[in-house]
Amino acid sequence: MIRRLVVLVLLVGGAVLLEPLRVPTEGVIAPRSLFLFGILLLTADTFGAVAHDLGLPRLVGYLLSGLALGPSVMGIVPPGVLQDLSMMKQLAVGMIALLAGAELRMGDLITRRRTIMWVLVLQTVLVTIAILGITLLARGTIPFLVSLDALPLLSVALLFATILSVNSPMATLALLTETRAEGPVAKTTLGIVLVADVLVILLFSVAFSVARQGLGHGQAGGEQALIGLLREVLGSVLAGVFVGAVISLYLRFVKRELVVFAVVAVFATAAAAQALHFEVLLSLLVAGFLVENVAPVRAEPLVETLHVAAVPVFVIFFAMAGAELRVQEFADLLPVVLLVVAARAVALYLAGGVGARVSGAEPAVVRHLWTGLVSQAGVALGFATIVAQRLPVVGAGLETLTVGVIAVNQTLGPILFRWGLSRAGEIRER
Amino acid sequence: MQTTLAAIAVITVGYIFAYLIFDRLRDRYGYVGGAEYVIIGFLLGPQVTGLLNAGQVQDLTPIVSLALGWLGMLLGTYFRLPTVALIEGDQLRIAFAEAVATFGLSGAALVAVFRWLTGASWADAAVQAVTLAAIATLSSPVAVDAVVDRIRSRSRIPPVLQLAARIDALVAVVAFGLLLAVLHQGEVAPGVRPPTATEWAVINLAVGVASGVLFHLFLGPRGHLEQGRLFVALAGAIVVASGASYYLNLSPIYTNLVLGFILVNSGSAHRDVTRLLLSTERPVYLALLLFAGAAWSPGSLDLLFIAPLFVAVRLGARFLGGRIAGLYVAPPELRTPGLGRGLLALGGLGVAIALNYAQVYPELHPRLILSATLLSVLLFEIVASREAAAFVSGLAEGSARPPEPGDSLPPGAVPETR
Repeated sequence: MIRRLVVLVLLVGGAVLLEPLRVPTEGVIAPRSLFLFGILLLTADTFGAVAHDLGLPRLVGYLLSGLALGPSVMGIVPPGVLQDLSMMKQLAVGMIALLAGAELRMGDLITRRRTIMWVLVLQTVLVTIAILGITLLARGTIPFLVSLDALPLLSVALLFATILSVNSPMATLALLTETRAEGPVAKTTLGIVLVADVLVILLFSVAFSVARQGLGHGQAGGEQALIGLLREVLGSVLAGVFVGAVISLYLRFVKRELVVFAVVAVFATAAAAQALHFEVLLSLLVAGFLVENVAPVRAEPLVETLHVAAVPVFVIFFAMAGAELRVQEFADLLPVVLLVVAARAVALYLAGGVGARVSGAEPAVVRHLWTGLVSQAGVALGFATIVAQRLPVVGAGLETLTVGVIAVNQTLGPILFRWGLSRAGEIRER
Repeated sequence: MQTTLAAIAVITVGYIFAYLIFDRLRDRYGYVGGAEYVIIGFLLGPQVTGLLNAGQVQDLTPIVSLALGWLGMLLGTYFRLPTVALIEGDQLRIAFAEAVATFGLSGAALVAVFRWLTGASWADAAVQAVTLAAIATLSSPVAVDAVVDRIRSRSRIPPVLQLAARIDALVAVVAFGLLLAVLHQGEVAPGVRPPTATEWAVINLAVGVASGVLFHLFLGPRGHLEQGRLFVALAGAIVVASGASYYLNLSPIYTNLVLGFILVNSGSAHRDVTRLLLSTERPVYLALLLFAGAAWSPGSLDLLFIAPLFVAVRLGARFLGGRIAGLYVAPPELRTPGLGRGLLALGGLGVAIALNYAQVYPELHPRLILSATLLSVLLFEIVASREAAAFVSGLAEGSARPPEPGDSLPPGAVPETR
């Protein structure tokens, strides 16, 4: 491993030697971005191997490599490079969504529907109560909440709680792919995080609308916002049905060059989503689900292809996610961040345990399901960005706090989930 | 919204038509190209539906550079020294003579075309002519291997054909790499003496060698990684080497050729690396075609006549080059004047060179070079497989003899990777 780190240092040193020979013109993608992207990939792979050797999930290594090279720590990969490479991340998210949808089996959902519903309801309720309570108790230490009156405070706290009820399909899928885990805990967790991913968009929109009203920004009525949201969700589902139909036809009549086709499908869906204002993640999730469960075609070739492409996709996604974390921004809020993380974890522990027990799930699910619900990543970060952009008074502060909590959950969540899967005896990793 | 829906409809219908047309070609002529991907790229791109606008096409540069490097590295892995050492001297002479003759003939013809038909300066004419001559010289090793594998001739010529395809690609990539080094574009930082042409050539080689050595160390002595992780490590190495070349306005294809050569000749990972590169060659090629389709625009209509002219020049040079090598350089037992007929497939490297040219010479008719290349790819790949099959089948009938050890071509370790 030391040899690999030395090679990475030499590569960076080589880049410094080449620096004076650089051409002054910079393209849309700066030439330097490409080189640094390569360094990021190699570093992520190395850190992933180190994490694996330490008994941690590889994706924690990917995250830490991004964090180490990113603007927060060494600054070798500056923000401009991440901006240049955003297309790669979009591709990664799309591929993961397609794979996640295809991994969701109708049979498993039906078998586990009681557990999924119970845990979802309890997760939403208990996390909301816990975060509301913590936010109200600690309001004096949170700068952007200090000056708020009761109603705005409550609405912002509700929005914060809603964002924190989000799980991470990316982290869940990455870990299940890495560990090749199979069993009730793996299946139930996947079902919950994917169904929650759909529901949470609705919940967030309601909470966001309430917060805007509470803060006096609600020029559009709540009903109007809800209708807009429903339209977006419905549009996403319809787009997903369309994309799923196209994929099914391709699998039925062409069935060749599946990697290229998947990449084109993701880019085309993302471009259409941008133009038609729907959620690309949800659309591809629905598309993958329909291809696997509804369409009269064999989806295995596509799923196998996506699995083959999964490792590099996860490396890209988590390394870039790590690089985008701005640690110093929430350093001042660290005590509150840790408090919120702990409260959320307790709420999830209760929700997972009680929900699974009430629904009659297997003992392993009762004991370890909660570990799969802790991770947070892309969707929650997306919500935090929306909040920062559209809530002028408290948005930036709320985003910083949220990103802090997500950063900790993003790192701890996979470690906990791996531990849970291991305790449940579901890891099939060689 | 209606525009987007119309765009999606256009793409879907366009793809179906392209698929049906090329599927018929596939059935009738054994066509193995991916022209439908050029068409779908074109439909997606800014020229037609605009679903991918010009900025988004530019955003795909990392993927394109990865693809350029990927194909360069694959070419490098064909030259594993222990197996190259087993090749007969006569075979090497024929292959090099064929490649150099094709390059020289097409280069001379194209310099004349650019100098006297388009009125370009000598330097500009040379740049465009050398680029297109390099593309004209290329023939796809994968396509040739596929035909040879399918027909299983007992003649001694098919291994020569396979070797010639590899040497063609080597000569083309090295010539293009040297062109970018010798006529280097861009300026160095203030206060630094600009390197000479020779120094740029050495720097280009050094970047490849350094990347190869470092990546060999990175993989380690055992060098065994599962496929997903090997893919990440390879992609990382290729992106680093491509990024360094792209940064210096040099050729990532050439740099990665050197990287692949070093990697396949050092350590124990060469089988895994070659297998992975071969298994991903097709998707990478199609991704390049897609990008080329999206990036394509007709450019100056006045110069568009160069594209069909290039096809004619390539055809002529290919047959003449094959004839010179097969008739005048080959010993009597390997004499085969129709060698060029088996080497018509162009493959992904041609598109890679055209795209690389567009990155480095954005002001010197990049659209024309891309148009000529794409037209060439589309036309030659329709007939290449059938012509190569006819050539190899003819050999089987005419010069059958019991196979001997060493007949099948070692470079590229094709038998062990399939």
